[in-house]
Amino acid sequence: MRREHTIADRVTSSALWRSIVRHGYPDTQRNQALVIASNVFLHLHPVKIKRYATKVTYTFCLGGLSFFMFLVLTLTGVLLMFYYVPSTDQAYTNMQEIEASVTFGMLMRNMHRYAAHGMVIAVFLHMCRVFYTGSYKPPREFNWIVGVILLVLTFLLSFTGYLLPWDQLAYWAITVGSEMAGAAPIVGEQAQFLMVGDYEIGQATLIRFYTLHVIFLPLAAALMMAVHFWRIRKDGGISGPL
Amino acid sequence: MAETIQRPSGPAGSISEEKRQRLLELVRGRTAARPTDLAEDEVMVWPSLVVVEALSAVVFTFLLLATAILINAPLAEIANPTVTPNPSKAPWYFLNLQELLLHMHPSLAGVIVPTIALVAIGAIPFIDRSPLGVGILFTSDKGKKITIFSAIYTFVLVVALILFDEFVGVTATLQGTVPEVVYQYIIPVITMLALIALLGLLIQRIFQPTRREMVMAFFTGFVVAFFVLTVVGTAFRGTGMDLFWPWDVESAH
Repeated sequence: MRREHTIADRVTSSALWRSIVRHGYPDTQRNQALVIASNVFLHLHPVKIKRYATKVTYTFCLGGLSFFMFLVLTLTGVLLMFYYVPSTDQAYTNMQEIEASVTFGMLMRNMHRYAAHGMVIAVFLHMCRVFYTGSYKPPREFNWIVGVILLVLTFLLSFTGYLLPWDQLAYWAITVGSEMAGAAPIVGEQAQFLMVGDYEIGQATLIRFYTLHVIFLPLAAALMMAVHFWRIRKDGGISGPL
Repeated sequence: MAETIQRPSGPAGSISEEKRQRLLELVRGRTAARPTDLAEDEVMVWPSLVVVEALSAVVFTFLLLATAILINAPLAEIANPTVTPNPSKAPWYFLNLQELLLHMHPSLAGVIVPTIALVAIGAIPFIDRSPLGVGILFTSDKGKKITIFSAIYTFVLVVALILFDEFVGVTATLQGTVPEVVYQYIIPVITMLALIALLGLLIQRIFQPTRREMVMAFFTGFVVAFFVLTVVGTAFRGTGMDLFWPWDVESAH
């Protein structure tokens, strides 16, 4: 039986392809191991995994979904940034332009908003799944704490994004939120001023929220996610029955 | 292609005759059974796990796209500090705190309670350190019963408390007759602590739980309280933050 010489064969045997992909088609165990181990993104995974860990009804994919939402938010967020200027004079007009005249602008905005809701829900449910399967127990205590930090970062990411449309919803939601921070004992007033950057919500607040939303918090979340994923491996992989 | 079978290398005679593998036959084409070093309960991540990941990514991409095409995100009028909407609401995931705000002092509702809740959640692995029940949803049948008991207990009590405060009203009754600190701090704190303690006591009496199961009772209480407060704050609070039916509350999100 002679193997057919298809275009795909030619491509995969070319010098360029072989310089990037250093394994054959993953239909042998060796290549299936190599495909995971020689790819920077896939090598988050181990090569082999316990059978129960692939059961959807064990994890409900919730951790993966949280990460997926984060990726969608990053992609759509970058596209939205092309059209959005964080200025109280322009922000609202930019929003209207994104919705009305930017190609796929409305779609990008909608996806960004729903993925943000989705991420909050997925992260919270992921915490519940991890709790009810007892997956926080030693040696995974620290990763549970990293998870709690990621939950807080998710709330903050969503909250800082909420102001950016600069509409009545945004303005008053952040007013309510910042007043809650202002009610903190002892440091309340300072906390509120630090958050708002002024005595009332305005340009200073918008630029603070914008900067936190597009740079600081995503980087912080990405950093904590790197620790979170790495620790899963170091703590013996995904939890399972002993 | 079949796996190539290599003859044992090394100088001839280094392997005894019985142990030497003999090449019986060479068969071209795919083999049905392949040699594997996988344990009985293991699978290869490629394809077993990556397939699940790829599929769920595709499914959720389509779900997100479909939702984004069908429903437009809200954009209200331009921000105006001089026009306060009634009600003014925080983003939905903070409406649980805004709901608490209606029943106690802002510092308690907005800062102290959520901070304590977060610290308590973070401390869970240091309170329950036994390896009992890892990898098993709800640990045991008893764990499942405790979770359901705690969920019903919390649901009924949180709803009852919200209705009590709405129609009888702790603040409304006591305002003016006693110092503010009584109904803004003391009564809410005592109520919360007492109900948490009562939950622990009931679970202890009825189920004689392990520490893991006790932690499960309290965590379930937190999740259900969070859920009820969020739903009430989002869907049942209308003008003046009074209680309404969801269809009478204008959706903001």
